Amino acid sequence: MVWAVLGLILSLAFYAAPLRIANGPDLMPMLPLMTLFIWSTVRPRFIPPIVIFIIGILNDVLTGGVLGVWALAYLMSLTIARSRDEDGPTREFGPVWIRFLVVLAIAIPVAWAAGSLAIGQLAPVRPLLIEGMASALMFPLLALLFVRRRSLRGSFGA
Amino acid sequence: MAVGRSSRRNDESGIRFSRTFTVALFLVAIVLIAFDRPQARSPALASLRAGITDLSAPLLDLTAAPVRGISNIGPYWRNQASLAEENAELRQRLNETRYWRDLALQLRDQREIYEQALNVDSPATQNRIGAWTLGDPDGPFVQSRLIGAGTRRGVDSGDPVLNVYGLIGRVVETGSVSSRVLLLTDLNSRIPVMADRSNARAVLVGDNSEYPRLDFLTRNADLEDGDRIVTSGDDGIMPRGLPVGQAQRDRQGRWRVRLYADRAPVDFVWVFPFEPVPLPMLDPDSEDQPASDENIALEAGDGQLAADTPEPLTGGEP
Repeated sequence: MVWAVLGLILSLAFYAAPLRIANGPDLMPMLPLMTLFIWSTVRPRFIPPIVIFIIGILNDVLTGGVLGVWALAYLMSLTIARSRDEDGPTREFGPVWIRFLVVLAIAIPVAWAAGSLAIGQLAPVRPLLIEGMASALMFPLLALLFVRRRSLRGSFGA
Repeated sequence: MAVGRSSRRNDESGIRFSRTFTVALFLVAIVLIAFDRPQARSPALASLRAGITDLSAPLLDLTAAPVRGISNIGPYWRNQASLAEENAELRQRLNETRYWRDLALQLRDQREIYEQALNVDSPATQNRIGAWTLGDPDGPFVQSRLIGAGTRRGVDSGDPVLNVYGLIGRVVETGSVSSRVLLLTDLNSRIPVMADRSNARAVLVGDNSEYPRLDFLTRNADLEDGDRIVTSGDDGIMPRGLPVGQAQRDRQGRWRVRLYADRAPVDFVWVFPFEPVPLPMLDPDSEDQPASDENIALEAGDGQLAADTPEPLTGGEP
């Protein structure tokens, strides 16, 4: 439980803090969503909906966005992903990665639509797509960190 | 939030959470979006945001600290080869700068003499508040920076924020130890500006692109490529003359501004506390004011000024 809380706090801090070393597009992946997804796969009871909601709200506050946008996107994508796991989530890495891509494919349009409604005009899609691509590509690295931990050995079919 | 122990298995598979509670959270998120829109942001939510950013500021500062060191390593090694050349150029610039510094000091003295003679109370030289950037997410919905200075150090909402080269935006939210700066490139950013050369007025409008556009220009505005754009102070919120960027046309022929601030990363910034210029008001209850019908005549501009017209406003922009 401590690791889950620590992981979520660190993911928010790294996501919001200025970590760009060189100028150019921001390649920071959606760390909070990745961490939520991984923990909800390996320890679902640590990630009830209220935790997803709170992390979404903190994400909104720290990035200066409209409150509720990422909370709604995280809740919707992870709830839909969970609804497919009546008998427990699969832990084979390949299917888990594909499931994460599905979560991204839900979260990004929901966030874009909610954000566009909130700001009263169509928000640019490019930054969201870049974040989505970075998240999809860096997901195996983050998942590997979890697998390397003794307490989670056995997750993702490792 | 789990439905109950009976529905939870030891291996955590098939765990279920209350559907009603999840739906309630969806509704709360939607309500928050409705009440936290930039056009109609609730003050209670704004103070909640400020409180959370204040709490998270030390952690963000700690997270960013190693990167501040690392980010200087790349430019250091890249610049080693051209160091001598750069040094010579800097020496030359320093000599030129000495001349401009002397001239500036002379002009400042002259201005003080004129102001005393004219009894003009112009704003004093601004103190600036230095702060590190604590958060820089360039999201699709908002382009802002979180900085490590708040009301405790004198930062107030609306204050202009500059980096070493020019204006980057203005403060829109303040906590006690942190503040959020809305960048000039954000969709909601509107700053009155003017061309330094011709005084042609415009409004700098952010559109999430690197080069914010110049709107509300007059039809025959005297603007040329490369004109220096500065704040005009027309809104009374920002001081006049802060450097913004250079005017340039885009492919569609619209005027845009290449921001000076883009020449350097926005990692360390200065906030310039600024007292907004008060609007001229005729106070009907004041004893010094003429009778109300005279006030009406004064406002309509169809009569001569009354003998006891209030003194002209001082303290505004010269």
